[in-house]
Amino acid sequence: MEFVATVVILTCTYALLAAGIVILYKAGRVVNFAHGEIAIVGGYVFYSSGMMFSGGEMSPWLAVLGAIVFSVIMGAFIYATMMRRVVGEPFYVAILVTVGIAIVLKSAIIVIWRAQHLTIDVGIAPAIRLAGGATLSYMDVASVALTIAFFIALYLFFTFTRLGVQFRGTAENPLLASQRGVNVNLVLSLAWIIAVLAATLSGVLYGGRAFLSTESVTIGLAGLTAALVGGLDSLRGAVIGAFVVALAQYLTVRLIDPVLSEALPFLILLVVMSIRPWGLFGTVEELDRV
Amino acid sequence: MARAGTNLRTSYLESNEVLRRPYQKVLVGLILVAAVLLPGGSSDYFLHLINLCLLACIGALGLMMLTGFCGQISLGHAAFLAIGAFTTVILTVHLKLPFIVVVPAAAVTGAMIGFLVGLPSLRFRGVYLAISTLAMHYAIIFVATTYQAKFSASASAGITIPDPTIGPLKISGAPTWYYFLLVLLTFITIGCVNLVRTRPGRAWMAIRDRDIAAEALGINLTRYKLLAFMLSATLASVSGSLMAYYSNVVTVEAYTLDLAVIYVAMIIVGGMGSILGGLMGAFFITLLPYGIEHLFEFLPRAWRFGSTVFGVQVGAVGVCIILFLLLEPKGLAEIWRRTETYFDRWPFRYRPLDTTRR
Repeated sequence: MEFVATVVILTCTYALLAAGIVILYKAGRVVNFAHGEIAIVGGYVFYSSGMMFSGGEMSPWLAVLGAIVFSVIMGAFIYATMMRRVVGEPFYVAILVTVGIAIVLKSAIIVIWRAQHLTIDVGIAPAIRLAGGATLSYMDVASVALTIAFFIALYLFFTFTRLGVQFRGTAENPLLASQRGVNVNLVLSLAWIIAVLAATLSGVLYGGRAFLSTESVTIGLAGLTAALVGGLDSLRGAVIGAFVVALAQYLTVRLIDPVLSEALPFLILLVVMSIRPWGLFGTVEELDRV
Repeated sequence: MARAGTNLRTSYLESNEVLRRPYQKVLVGLILVAAVLLPGGSSDYFLHLINLCLLACIGALGLMMLTGFCGQISLGHAAFLAIGAFTTVILTVHLKLPFIVVVPAAAVTGAMIGFLVGLPSLRFRGVYLAISTLAMHYAIIFVATTYQAKFSASASAGITIPDPTIGPLKISGAPTWYYFLLVLLTFITIGCVNLVRTRPGRAWMAIRDRDIAAEALGINLTRYKLLAFMLSATLASVSGSLMAYYSNVVTVEAYTLDLAVIYVAMIIVGGMGSILGGLMGAFFITLLPYGIEHLFEFLPRAWRFGSTVFGVQVGAVGVCIILFLLLEPKGLAEIWRRTETYFDRWPFRYRPLDTTRR
């Protein structure tokens, strides 16, 4: 049971990250290398805003509010000040701007939070005991439920709402979409906000299970691997990819060597890139092939 | 006085000149004289900083060849540096080989690894290539970590390397290193400049600007892309090897992804596709953290800001990347070119011609 619990939580963490990366890739053909940093900073913000007024005791509602405010401001800020300007520049500009964002966020962790190791403990009730000695805290249950809710909401949004359809139109062809009256700027900043929100949730999840620090930003690369395994332009693939990475990571820690588990996402990455670079569910033509 | 001289070219040889303007020759001469005289009037600490810059220049030129000229983005430069450093460790600590053998050996190893890392570039470009170099980075660093865990006395201390000797001459101390690196960098720079204006460089630029068109022109993409990767890895490896000798210690913790990004920052700040830019960027980014440290010393009770200083040093590189990409995409080299053009045209204020000299 402990095995199932761990893999499910890890899958949720990676799936949220991968979903964000996929949404950004679909929306603007940008691969966000700063996703892990955004997630961890989001986790720190969640923690700090929860602690802000309640002196030692964590207030979940304030924390959630802080995380949402952070996501909206961060997403809109990144899009409006940076990513909007790199359209039409050589491809490396967009990538390297996200790399720059990654470094700035990392330095923010050092400057603002003194790079301290934090474990997020919301403090709602102890844990549920499962058969086989596994424990699942209510926070874990809540986060899994939230992840599922997030994906369902995403599905409903893309399928049934006007904005969601506009979003898919923009992903298909931004120029045509804008000529048909879609507010591309709104759609793309929304993409960034959703992606940052998902990343923040994932950071909170990770911070509840392990700890937040400057080193834990590597979950971004696990998320990137998950997105690639599933296919960079497939949301469904993001979940499957996250499951593959989470399972592989868990099994390596258990059966082979914990040290290897850190390098594992990249080994998977290399294997996927050499065998099936468009991933499990990705579109073949999407690939920037030579 | 306004002259037509710099833009009017009457022969092929003339258009291929490196130092086209008369004052450029004077300037280069002055810089060289100043560089030779520099150790006479400066402290060891200052020379140490300059040495770090010169070492970074070698690595940055390598990345500039690959990304700036051939257009292949690489996030694996730190791994190439690590290859050089760990080749040095293996050859000096286990085999006790001399400096004069080790550095070329590191270069050859770098070239081989560069060949391997370059292979994905035959199938991917753009984002996918960046991700594959990222994966390569982690694969190489994983191997290095495993090696270090096995062979170093304690996991965190790293592995010590003795000072190098060439025949009777022992290279140690800032001034000796300075002259050695200066001579080496001068040769490497001349080599790069010549490479860029001859067949390989032109092939690279064609690939960068449009690979399909380049192939249609008869450029062998496989060959020139792999050549770029090999050259880049070779220079990085030499830089890493010299860095190992210079600091006398090799530890895998130094070769993080952040280091790769720092090198990328150098070529962005310097200006993509410019050798001069590569050198300027290397100096700028290497000196940046020290500059920030000194700025913080002006604050009252500076000791309180210990970890803040470190954070700001880290973040400044990211800020530089973003600001240069958004506001001055061709970097410091472009600023320098604008200045030159301004004085060329003086007292008139024509807009600078947009024929970018690479």
